[in-house]
Amino acid sequence: MLKLSRSANLRLVQLPAARLSGNGAKLLTQRGFFTVTRLWQSNGKKPLSRVPVGGTPIKDNGKVREGSIEFSTGKAIALFLAVGGALSYFFNREKRRLETQKEAEANRGYGKPSLGGPFHLEDMYGNEFTEKNLLGKFSIIYFGFSNCPDICPDELDKLGLWLNTLSSKYGITLQPLFITCDPARDSPAVLKEYLSDFHPSILGLTGTFDEVKNACKKYRVYFSTPPNVKPGQDYLVDHSIFFYLMDPEGQFVDALGRNYDEKTGVDKIVEHVKSYVPAEQRAKQKEAWYSFLFK
Amino acid sequence: MGLFSFDGGKKESQPPNTRSQRKLCWESRDAFFQCLDKADILDAMDPKNSKSIKSHCKVENEKFEENCAHSWIKYFKEKRVIDFKREQTIKRIEQEAKQRERNQ
Repeated sequence: MLKLSRSANLRLVQLPAARLSGNGAKLLTQRGFFTVTRLWQSNGKKPLSRVPVGGTPIKDNGKVREGSIEFSTGKAIALFLAVGGALSYFFNREKRRLETQKEAEANRGYGKPSLGGPFHLEDMYGNEFTEKNLLGKFSIIYFGFSNCPDICPDELDKLGLWLNTLSSKYGITLQPLFITCDPARDSPAVLKEYLSDFHPSILGLTGTFDEVKNACKKYRVYFSTPPNVKPGQDYLVDHSIFFYLMDPEGQFVDALGRNYDEKTGVDKIVEHVKSYVPAEQRAKQKEAWYSFLFK
Repeated sequence: MGLFSFDGGKKESQPPNTRSQRKLCWESRDAFFQCLDKADILDAMDPKNSKSIKSHCKVENEKFEENCAHSWIKYFKEKRVIDFKREQTIKRIEQEAKQRERNQ
């Protein structure tokens, strides 16, 4: 006999025997006619069809699931950020490089170069210097004169800083050139002495008045000596203030004005040096299937 | 003629433009211009200001003229006026911009 204690929590469930046949009926007979199921007060109202028969309640595995989800989400987010960041950096860098190449290409011009070209001058050691001496390396050219009150010395000091940073930090060597707009007074010896106060690698260039005039014209440099100057009289020369950056093929790629400072000038030059592509390769790029990227 | 040989010699033996010489010139220019600021003089080339310059900045002016080439002196004096006017223009534009912002 079953002892019926705690009657509020226990009920007798009778299964109709008529519905069971075959093995079912036999099984039921072996286990007994009645099945006792424990129901808690909170489940009292549940429909019978939802009440499990036999067995034990399923334990809550929420914690395990939570942990699993949390771990997975964090890892996925980290992976997403890493891949996304890498892709973003790569595309931005390539985009900037392409933009610099386009800029340089536009400055080189098509057919006739927009700036630069043949010139014939004399350097401060008395040697001949022409546009052919620009080949094989990047050059940076400044037009000034030794009797310049303040702008030329400031710009040449800035150039010195650029050259030092480019060399020490980036391993980049340029050929810095100073072309005088005042050939009457700036002889090779005068230039040599004047430029010794700045960076030692700066090479001074001078020549006859016509040779200098031609060079200035090629680089579209404005210069003007005051009229009616008497021999020995002191005078200043007006001139444009730019650094002209030339590529290893002697072609103009950029002009850096006074707005470029010690840092931004270096960044600009590095950009051009790193994105430089030889003419032969540029021609191939224009014919390749992906040439639209360079147009 | 012998009396003028010193001046001639001075001009002929004028040393080349070096960093130290430029520094000397720039420093004497700065000293002279600071004196002009104190005396409330802008244009050092204006004949009206010559008396005032003599009474306030005689020493600085003489130093300036001694250490700088003639064309540089002229250039710096002109530049002083141009720089001042440019600063005034920038200030006026900034004030107008602020006024416009305030009105909106």
